[in-house]
Amino acid sequence: MSDTLIKLENVKKIFYTEDVETHALSDISLTINKGEYVSISGPSGCGKSTLLSLLGLLDTATEGRYQLSKHDVSDISKSERARIRNQEIGFIFQSFNLISDLDVEENVELPLTYRADLDKKQRQALVKDALTKVDMAHRAKHFPAQLSGGQQQRVAVARAIAGNPSILLADEPTGNLDSKNAEAVMALLDQLHSEGATICMVTHDPRSAENADRRIDVLDGRVVSDKTRSFSEAASA
Amino acid sequence: MITLSDFKYAIRLLSKKPGFTALTTLVMATGIGLSVYLLVFFNTALFKDLPFKDGNSLIHISGSFEGARENNQLSLHDFEEIRANLKGVKEFSAFSGSDINVAGRDGARRYQAVSIEPNFFHVTRTKPTLGREFAEYENKAGAENVVIIGYDVWQNQFGGSDTVIDQTMRINGVSHRVVGVMPEGYFFPDVAEIWLPMRENSSQIPRGKAGSYYGLGHIEDGVAKADLNRQLDVIMQRLEQEYPETNGGIGAYIDTLQMTSAEDGIAVVRSMQVTAILILILAAINVGNLLFSRAVERGKETAIRVALGAPRSRLISQMLWESVIICTVGGIVGLCVMAWGLEITGGVTSAFSYGRQAFWWSFSVDAYTVKLVVGFIVITILVTGLFPAWKNSGTDFNAVLRDGTRGAIGKKAGRLNRILVISEIFVSMTILIAAGVVVVASYNESHENNGANTDNILTASVLLPDAVYDTPQKQSQFIQTLQSRLENNDGVGDVMISTALPSTWTVRPTIAVEGQEYNEKDGQGYPRENYVGVTPGSLSKLDVELRDGRYFSSVDDGLDKTSVIVTDSFAAKYFPSVSPLGKRLRIVEFDDDTPKWLTIIGVVEHTVQGDEQKLGSVFRPLTQAPNKEVVIAMKMKAGSALATRTLRQTLKTINPDVPAYRIETYEDKLARFGGPMRFISSIFLIFASAAVVLAASGIYGVMSNTIAQRTQEIGVKQALGAQEQHIKREFMMIGFKQLLWGGVPGALAGSAMGFAMAQVFGLENTELFGIAALMITVIGSVVMTATYFPTRRALEMEPSAALRYE
Repeated sequence: MSDTLIKLENVKKIFYTEDVETHALSDISLTINKGEYVSISGPSGCGKSTLLSLLGLLDTATEGRYQLSKHDVSDISKSERARIRNQEIGFIFQSFNLISDLDVEENVELPLTYRADLDKKQRQALVKDALTKVDMAHRAKHFPAQLSGGQQQRVAVARAIAGNPSILLADEPTGNLDSKNAEAVMALLDQLHSEGATICMVTHDPRSAENADRRIDVLDGRVVSDKTRSFSEAASA
Repeated sequence: MITLSDFKYAIRLLSKKPGFTALTTLVMATGIGLSVYLLVFFNTALFKDLPFKDGNSLIHISGSFEGARENNQLSLHDFEEIRANLKGVKEFSAFSGSDINVAGRDGARRYQAVSIEPNFFHVTRTKPTLGREFAEYENKAGAENVVIIGYDVWQNQFGGSDTVIDQTMRINGVSHRVVGVMPEGYFFPDVAEIWLPMRENSSQIPRGKAGSYYGLGHIEDGVAKADLNRQLDVIMQRLEQEYPETNGGIGAYIDTLQMTSAEDGIAVVRSMQVTAILILILAAINVGNLLFSRAVERGKETAIRVALGAPRSRLISQMLWESVIICTVGGIVGLCVMAWGLEITGGVTSAFSYGRQAFWWSFSVDAYTVKLVVGFIVITILVTGLFPAWKNSGTDFNAVLRDGTRGAIGKKAGRLNRILVISEIFVSMTILIAAGVVVVASYNESHENNGANTDNILTASVLLPDAVYDTPQKQSQFIQTLQSRLENNDGVGDVMISTALPSTWTVRPTIAVEGQEYNEKDGQGYPRENYVGVTPGSLSKLDVELRDGRYFSSVDDGLDKTSVIVTDSFAAKYFPSVSPLGKRLRIVEFDDDTPKWLTIIGVVEHTVQGDEQKLGSVFRPLTQAPNKEVVIAMKMKAGSALATRTLRQTLKTINPDVPAYRIETYEDKLARFGGPMRFISSIFLIFASAAVVLAASGIYGVMSNTIAQRTQEIGVKQALGAQEQHIKREFMMIGFKQLLWGGVPGALAGSAMGFAMAQVFGLENTELFGIAALMITVIGSVVMTATYFPTRRALEMEPSAALRYE
């Protein structure tokens, strides 16, 4: 029996401006199980990044329920959301989002410094492991500006996995990379998945989407298809 | 490089953001206006060449005591030694000022006169309008009494008659023939209106018996004042060794005539000049930061221009134009406001003195002002425009276009922002501490208890002419007659006559207390205390409280009597553990060859005299030691007009040649005495307020920008699980570090300036520490508030929004 990690029920997200109401997501319901590798695809402006923000607790839904590891996180405090992001979720962004003033090692260590349960030694061990996994240990003292785009994204992946999160959320992880570096990053995600990581990736690149076990297509804020690797219909919203 | 299209583009950008344009222009106008105002004020008062031909080489020689530049007069013999031995100065001329009474049809009037040598007017390159200068033979003892009068005296005393030459006027009861009339506006050396021949010859008078004088001269080309002062030190040291009994501690120094009025207050002047520059720097930093932030905001646009092939010079030109427009318009607005401020200043400073103020104190926009404004505009353009434009145009625009990491521009901008914040903290802290010292000193002065009841009292001065009142007996008789006639008149109540009222200046002679040892050989070991002559009954009528012993009474009357009253501050200093009653002291400077011991018969509460608020005082009855110049204080029964009329009529009955002058209420007199301090305090208050507003807005603007530029970083950190308090703490720590980097040197610099001023104003070190602590708290609060609110605003965004923030 599959172990549910994420469960969304009738989630809506509406953005309000002065006189415009934008329905970014409408009645989204889906589940993601532990160990799954899910891609979310769709055209620009379809709501896939908004969906990823809700999944990553970077934003709150206007309506609906959200369960993460069987806990309802729909109405939790900002502080609790921050704690969950820190310990349960790893983020990989399209534009890497490394801190330019910190070197590679410090960037990877950054989320670990927000945890009270880790001392300096433990943090260093986790950082070393993560950098080794992405093959960037030799660049530990370099600053982001001294790295290529592919290398920066590998550091970003190391930062995402350093705290052993329950799920990795990747937002167009290859969007800023050339094809060679993009392939390398996708291979890295494959490897992490094969080692048991749960991955949820937003992408509009069909080749990247094909790496996932399951593909969810979003259009106009709704899930319009949800297929496994064999691309047979699994469930619909 | 600079093209019209760039200018038009800059105008378009500025008009698109009118709020920004108005703010930056206002900041620049404030900075340039305030700093130029203060620099022009001091230039006019102290540094500008006197308005004569060769005014730039005119120097003034005066005396110091124990190294302190006190603008004392020098004895005629010392002056002759200087004249004979000082190399590098030509056209020496001695002069000495005095008050004189001039008889007229409507009664006598008092004027400021100067005794001069015949070459005096030539030194100022000014000839009489009518008549001639003094001839050499008129400067000899026994020569005919002649006088040269000023334009206003000519108009007032002679109705501007063309036949004034050879007419006579009675000066101090003696007839003088008019030989010349000086041009309108000529009041040299400061407010003089009548000039008399000096007539003293050092070869005919023994040392110590001659009068004392100031010196004038022209410094020769290529000679430095410092060299002349070194020569003077050598000359005066030799004289001190040769004549220890007359020259102990006495030195001489050269400066401009204007600077002599600054005396030891020059520390305050320099501090205010530094403050003026700091306020300009603060304004320039603010505007520079705002322009730099705009340039950073337009980083992508600039990157696109680079990609399209724009040369760096063109980018700088385009960014520079905004600064040129803001600084130029700000400078012009500042100049206009400053011109208005200078106009007001003339009215304010004229109230500092009872009569006219120094003739060169003419506050208006002059060539120096225009040069200063233009110079400041150019400097501020360079600081606010060129530097940020240069820095911004040198950014790696490829990185900006790629946008690979967060803060490709932000990192450089962040470093510059930190420098800007630290600079603002430093500058504002320095200004605020200096301002705090002046404000506290002014507060102390205005709230001091001078020891007397000043309500409902009219004051006036009287000067007894030498020719008539040439003995102490005659002077004492006049004073007693005046007091009794006034007191028997219905127009006034109590009458108090003294040489100086509480809060006003008095002489500070050297004194000696019996039983204490002093270094008598060179006279340097004697302390100085205030000395005031009073008629018996004056202290009690002024409500100066008796602490011990008794007030003066009729038993103290008589030139052979030797009683004094001291203040409790004097008693505490010299008799800390015993009663001062019956103890003796002497006024060393007033003694002849035989010391004259005076017995303390009473102790009164402390009274303040002049600027040294804690200095003790010795009171002696005018019936024992009369004085030529006295101050009359009268309780008014029915207003000042009746009291004034009563005084004038009473004087006329005693001697019509003796006028009353400086007639004003005691409260007005005190207000006039405190005027300069209040003025300086007001200026500093304006500067401090401007500094706080500029610093607060500037630091808030910089911190707000810094944090805004790091919003995405905040979003990243939130995404990685940072708690809000983590991020708040991190940014508050950044603010705190900047506070330390700017605040500690600022507090040190401000305290150093404050310390120099505190010495002049007589502030305690504890007060200085208190001011520094308060200002650190104020600036600290500004910095932490300016950090907290932008941080909180950034944290109010959802992390997803912060990540997308542009």
